[in-house]
Amino acid sequence: MSSSESPSRQAPTPPHGLGRLRHNIKKSLLPGDNATRIRTRRRIVAFAWRYLDMLRLCLLSAGCLWLLTLPVSQLGVDTYIDENALQPSQVNTYWNWVDVHRADRLLEDVSLLRERNLSSVERATFFATEFAKCGLPSSTQTYSIQTSHGTLNGTNAYAVFSAPRTSGTEAMIISASWKSMTGGENLRGVSIVLSLAAFLKQYSHWSKDIIFVITDNHLDGMHAWLGAYHRPSSANWDAEPLSITSGVVWTALNIDYPGHSFSHLGVFREGLNGRLPNQDLINSFRTISQQTSGVPVLLYDHYEPSEFPGREGIRSFYPSWLPNWLWERETILEYGYRAKNILRHFAYQARGRASGPHGSFHQYRIDAITLFAVPSNGPHGFYALGRAVESTLRTMSNLLERLHASFFFYIMTTPSTFLKIGSYLPSAVLVAAALMIGGLREWVKAGWVELEECQSGPGKGDAADIPSSSKKKWAPRRRDLLDVFVVMAASHLVGLTLFVIICREWLDIGLLSFIILPACWVVLMLAPWKSPSLDSSVSTAPLHTLLKAINMCLASTLISVSSVLNFSLAALLAVTLGVPLSSASPSDSLPERGIKCALYTTLAFGWLAFHGEVKQGIWDWEVLGVWFSPLVCLVYVPLVLQAGIISSLSP
Amino acid sequence: MAFEFAFAVAARVVLALSPLGSYLQDDDQLSSPLTSYSRLQEGIYLFRHGVDPYSGGSFRHSPLALSVFSTIVPKSRIHPTLLWTFFDAVGAWALVNIWRSRSNIQKSERDMRIAAIYLINPYIFLPCLALSTSTLENTLQLLVLMFSARGQSSPSLLALAILSHQSLPAIVQLPPILLLLLSDPQSHLASPRSFSQSLFKCLPLFVEFAAFFVALLFASTLVAGGLGWVRNTWGAGFLLPDLTPNPGLWWYFFTEMFDHFRPFFLMVFSLHMATYVAPLCIKFQHDPLYATFLLLGVLGIFKPYPTLSDPGLFLSLLSLFPEIYPYLRYPVVTALLHLHAFLLLPLFHHLWVGTGTGNANFFYASTLVFGLANGGALLDCVWAGLRVAIGEEKDGWVVTQE
Repeated sequence: MSSSESPSRQAPTPPHGLGRLRHNIKKSLLPGDNATRIRTRRRIVAFAWRYLDMLRLCLLSAGCLWLLTLPVSQLGVDTYIDENALQPSQVNTYWNWVDVHRADRLLEDVSLLRERNLSSVERATFFATEFAKCGLPSSTQTYSIQTSHGTLNGTNAYAVFSAPRTSGTEAMIISASWKSMTGGENLRGVSIVLSLAAFLKQYSHWSKDIIFVITDNHLDGMHAWLGAYHRPSSANWDAEPLSITSGVVWTALNIDYPGHSFSHLGVFREGLNGRLPNQDLINSFRTISQQTSGVPVLLYDHYEPSEFPGREGIRSFYPSWLPNWLWERETILEYGYRAKNILRHFAYQARGRASGPHGSFHQYRIDAITLFAVPSNGPHGFYALGRAVESTLRTMSNLLERLHASFFFYIMTTPSTFLKIGSYLPSAVLVAAALMIGGLREWVKAGWVELEECQSGPGKGDAADIPSSSKKKWAPRRRDLLDVFVVMAASHLVGLTLFVIICREWLDIGLLSFIILPACWVVLMLAPWKSPSLDSSVSTAPLHTLLKAINMCLASTLISVSSVLNFSLAALLAVTLGVPLSSASPSDSLPERGIKCALYTTLAFGWLAFHGEVKQGIWDWEVLGVWFSPLVCLVYVPLVLQAGIISSLSP
Repeated sequence: MAFEFAFAVAARVVLALSPLGSYLQDDDQLSSPLTSYSRLQEGIYLFRHGVDPYSGGSFRHSPLALSVFSTIVPKSRIHPTLLWTFFDAVGAWALVNIWRSRSNIQKSERDMRIAAIYLINPYIFLPCLALSTSTLENTLQLLVLMFSARGQSSPSLLALAILSHQSLPAIVQLPPILLLLLSDPQSHLASPRSFSQSLFKCLPLFVEFAAFFVALLFASTLVAGGLGWVRNTWGAGFLLPDLTPNPGLWWYFFTEMFDHFRPFFLMVFSLHMATYVAPLCIKFQHDPLYATFLLLGVLGIFKPYPTLSDPGLFLSLLSLFPEIYPYLRYPVVTALLHLHAFLLLPLFHHLWVGTGTGNANFFYASTLVFGLANGGALLDCVWAGLRVAIGEEKDGWVVTQE
């Protein structure tokens, strides 16, 4: 199978018979004899090795530039309805002024609840009674959630309308939370859910049960209610079991209507841990809202630049020093609008934060969105909203099977355009590829050392074997991974300790950031691990090369794996880890090392300065199970710390 | 050694008793329809209540497993957990003994490391937590290798017969095991020579194996009360009636395939596994243990119902052959592929089955990554096993493949 061939020797004379035939075939297919092949291969390897850094740089910058081009309008695709069964906006709606009137009467009662400052149990009892008045089986559910800062209590009210013609194996939910995302009370949202209960009950064409839920607080009420609907118990929350249940929930709408009227309906879609609902739900709602009730749809509460307040809103998005003529151009304006939408999406998704009470649904495989009635002086109210909701429920009721898989990976750039997975995913993956190539390069570098000729070492026909000048020789060296694993385990332990401290609040976060930043810098500078292992340069690979190799390979794996799960998080990691990890290197001069260590320490722990953000992250983790904060402490911090350690070592 | 070994096993027991196991029990990557503990329980239940467990489509364990587990039936969750950990401990012990036979020494520094590589290998450890009977198959497999490395032909052939009853594809290693019994387990990779013994000496061994096999066949038929079990256990490997996803390469092809092509491709896939036996036995006739090792790698990739423990066994066995390490060409790439596959398999399975945002293609893609990782490891081992013979490169010389 193998033959020893000197590169300088000529090819052997072709044998006779079958051997010759084989030889001839080979000659016509392959570029000549073995010696030529080896030379060609070496040339290719040498070429690749020489331009490897250039390639890494290209991949890194291509990935980052790609992220910047995401808002460009040419990249977007028009939305469409994928599931034919949905048939949005194809029905006559029956919601009328009588129902609006009932909603208004209910609103008066609900406002009284707020004015009389009733407890959540009394409120929930009132809602349950109102549901019962419509003739629906209704109940309340009390829950409490343990956090390290005390207990969250609340009471939810809910009612189930069993569709008269079906077996009740499937259901859809219409819900409102007592608190709006604006911070005030969601009075009108609650009133319209109560009124819809009385209205929807009159019709017999529903193919799925309809569950009405009015939850306490903003996010935690719905989280506890859904938890009790799907699971018997959980470690951190204690919720009363539900006395009335229905079938498998497919879709859900959450209504948030804080103002007295609205001009637009905003769609909020991001769920916990970066989950998204099926895009068909959003597209159908948009079609219905515009065609059935004539209400324009927004992403979040971002006005489009073509509308009156929109232009001003986007102008504030650009820095003020930008010349006027620039942002007045249509393409720039459009870019800003889309960038604003994408950034808002990234802010929710990367932190795993839900943009509304609908966020708890996605983990149970329920497609859900929040409809936000953007507060304004007019022109729309209960009439338009009721028609939109009724028609959307009819569309949801049309579903014969679950919404299609693979329509879950998208980034909405405007209400009517989106980015397909193929047009955004490569950006993060390119950065991951750059890191992976860098890591493998370090690994190869760690395995070889360049020696003077006097020290003869066997040269191998491997990646590092570059035809060099006659004086130097490449010799293999040992790659001992034990030290590297110890350092990595230690850095992960630091992350774990940090996480426990933050969770338990043993130290005030502000104080913590004051202590940990300088402390970490000092430790890195004094570097107890710096005592060099004997003759490390010759027989064994230095620690920093090996650590960097493993560190970059792990970071690359993390980014590419998480890009499918939560693209925004992957993009965030790609931006924060890509360049810093690639450029970690030990240095001789003390000031340079000091600056580098300071930079990495800041990158690793700088986020502690944002107290509110940290507290919110911990709250999300404890109450809603969002794993962003553990991920930052246990994965991100150690990775950056390792880069800091690399920089603190001597070359 | 004994103390350290006991410590490692105790650590395993502690982990095994954590509630993790109940989450993993029905995981598709850790137990296949042929090795699932839930299905075993169902079979035992049916068997005890006088219903033929092989009349339905859910129970696919061999009648031997049925008879063993219905006599020592585990009541609570703790008993089987301890039993399965014991299986793994026996496996690790057997692995150490194989190493001792191969290096022809009584005791060595590496013993503990080899046992640890087996005991903490996640591909071995997680199926054990999930109580997949593939753990038992791995233990039997290691016992087969241990007995044959020690030259104890009867125990080895009996163990192989039992193993083949549990999982029929294992029978492909009969030829290299026979060669191993006739030669010695020491490493001859560096000095290849043709097989010194006459092949006719295999005949009595083969007859012995056949006798064991047929005896077990009768025992199984007695237990099951008829030949109905053959279709449900061995037949499943050929007919692929259950398309529950697993980390192997078969299920997706046969979910996509038109029914009229099915028999043909079932034949191709089954025969394909057997085609590796002769070439590997001929090429590695100087070191049949290595040939068996490579065949186990082939099985780990191409088995009809693999679990993570099949490639896991191959990777753990790699620790027996330290002489090939310097000649592996891309161990880091293989390791990284395994890391990606190990993360992607559960992730994409969850996206498809759990949250429903992905579909079968996602999981299939991750099984391809896994197949690539295993294939990479196998190819690299084939190369390195042959490359050892040439020795270190001299200065200015290059070894190349013709």
